[in-house]
Amino acid sequence: MNLELQKGSRSKILAAILFGFMTVFSVRLFYLQIIQHDYYVDAAKREQVKRLTIPAKRGTIYALDGQTPVPLVMNQTVYTVFADPQVASDNNKIIDTIRRVAGGNARPDLESLLSLKDSRYQILATKISRTQADKIKAAKLSGIGFQEESQRVYPEGSLAAQTLGFIDYSGIGRYGVEGKLNKRLTGVDGLLQSVTDVSDVPLTIGNNNIDQPAVDGDNIVLSIDRNVQSHTEQALADGLKRTGATRGSAIVMDPQTGKIMAMTNLPTYDPSKLNEVKDVSLFNNAVVSAPYEPGSDVKTLTIATGIDKGVVTPTSTYVNTDHIQVDDRTISNAIFGRTGEITFQYALNWSLNTGFVTIAQRLGDGKSITREARDTMYDYFYNRFKLGQLTGVEVAGEAAGTIIPPTVAEGNAVRYSNMAFGQGMDVPMIQVASAFNSIVNGGKYYKPTVLAGVVDKNGKYIPNKIENPSISISKSTADQVREMTRVARTLFFARGDKPGYYIGGKTGTSQVVRDGVYANDETIGTYLGYGGSEDTTRYVIMIQVSGDHKELEGGLDAMPIFTDISNWMIDYLDLQPKG
Amino acid sequence: MSYQRTQTFNNRRQQNWSRNQNTVAFVSSIKLGPVAHTVLVALMITVLGLIYLTQATRATSYDYATQKIDSQIAELNTQKNDLQIENARLTALETVKKSSVASTMTTPVSTNYVEQ
Repeated sequence: MNLELQKGSRSKILAAILFGFMTVFSVRLFYLQIIQHDYYVDAAKREQVKRLTIPAKRGTIYALDGQTPVPLVMNQTVYTVFADPQVASDNNKIIDTIRRVAGGNARPDLESLLSLKDSRYQILATKISRTQADKIKAAKLSGIGFQEESQRVYPEGSLAAQTLGFIDYSGIGRYGVEGKLNKRLTGVDGLLQSVTDVSDVPLTIGNNNIDQPAVDGDNIVLSIDRNVQSHTEQALADGLKRTGATRGSAIVMDPQTGKIMAMTNLPTYDPSKLNEVKDVSLFNNAVVSAPYEPGSDVKTLTIATGIDKGVVTPTSTYVNTDHIQVDDRTISNAIFGRTGEITFQYALNWSLNTGFVTIAQRLGDGKSITREARDTMYDYFYNRFKLGQLTGVEVAGEAAGTIIPPTVAEGNAVRYSNMAFGQGMDVPMIQVASAFNSIVNGGKYYKPTVLAGVVDKNGKYIPNKIENPSISISKSTADQVREMTRVARTLFFARGDKPGYYIGGKTGTSQVVRDGVYANDETIGTYLGYGGSEDTTRYVIMIQVSGDHKELEGGLDAMPIFTDISNWMIDYLDLQPKG
Repeated sequence: MSYQRTQTFNNRRQQNWSRNQNTVAFVSSIKLGPVAHTVLVALMITVLGLIYLTQATRATSYDYATQKIDSQIAELNTQKNDLQIENARLTALETVKKSSVASTMTTPVSTNYVEQ
């Protein structure tokens, strides 16, 4: 009996102990699995589930070669070679291999970098190619690692650099097309959320996996024709050398579409060597971002306004006395002696300011530049020729410029008399060239653009549709002004032109405002012209040359650059001469 | 395995309403105790677990294969991209201008146009 009791007691004790353990385990498990459930699930996810960003590929930027896209800006995977000096053992072999393979991309002081045993990270070479990286990897050097990164490369060098812009150290587009169309070019990064193994290989197990592919940036095709761009850059460089100008800008446009075929400024920079740029103003594209007083080029717009309103014709006359009074100011011609009763064609030929102030007066009561005359001029300059407002061209940093409206005190008769011959207003070259397009194409204003289309995922070029133009002036007016500019060029500047083509243009020599007054020792020379056949204008070219304390003239300094580009364009576009 | 008749019943109601039903129940002569049942259940769970593990491992092996192929695709894309860049550099205007072909080109003395 005692024995049975003792047996039973031990079993019960054992059961009680086991029950106690089980209770402890159960309570602990309840705590871990129920109460701490969310905490441990999160901890497990942090450990096992990785969120990997799938970087979107930045879009390639193409130019045109005729009608074929050619890459101007591409992406290249490059590598940074680094060493862990504490792990690196055979320094001589490392130095020999890096110098032999990486060449100029290797740091000059490899010995001292590898001797820094306190450091765990020293960069030995940067921006080496995949082939170079493979050769270094093949050498199986201990303590050497690689970091992969993508960089923009420019197969055409500095061609159209200020139109392209660049991307900064954080991958954001700055200046040019890169800056303006940064969002389109960047695309959208994708996301991969998955359980991974120790090597970060994504596994399909798990319930919360996300595989959201990246959306690559658009591959953009610019309307810039690399051949036209290259020749324009060369012609402008030659022109600056010839004239002694230190700054120059040029734009070549297709007046039938508003597409920009070339746009350049000198001096420029190499986008692959940004660290060598000393003057950040070089990043600006002056054609779109530097307003100036365009001077006599604007006379083509004034005569167009007068003809379109029916107050003058090319053959109607006025009496030129070389001076004209507007309120308390006397406005004079730049060239004296062409006095008497002369036609407005003659006034355009000799670029006589009095003729264009007379047009402004005839837009009013014929004697003074009334409010009605100023309203009309403002309507044509601002609303129809779009001066003084952003064109929307796809290049960052565009400046609107200024056209003073007649509704404010500064928009008085003196102001508008000056505006009639291109002073008293600030506009960038692209606005003047775009307005001129609408004169030589029959009166249609096309928004200027550097975009020609896109290259889709299959590599197919899809051109953009041309936006509908607005009407600036009647076709009759446009044709008359076009003919007037042809006559003006033929009289003085056509000696270097290829015979058999319909070429016209207008010179401009603008004064420079320095410290609030016109400087006596500096002028900007411009030439604005076109070329093609009698039926169709095929190109518009605008040239500007300038330099500190340099008096440069449109006819003498800018016009020869126009002629150079114009003759080349005739050959490039395969234009057939008449007769 | 054999079975023997262990029990018989003949119920009047069954005779009347369930004439075609079996009236004999067979009981296995092999008796499985609680330990055997536990072992069998454990074995079944083990087999099911192994099946699950096999499938999961197979799926994971596909992940590694996929990863390997993805790496190859990425590598080939990088090579293709490098070749495209090299092609662009070789056909760039500056390269063409400096080519031996370009250096031997001359300006035509005269040009004739075909009437269109």
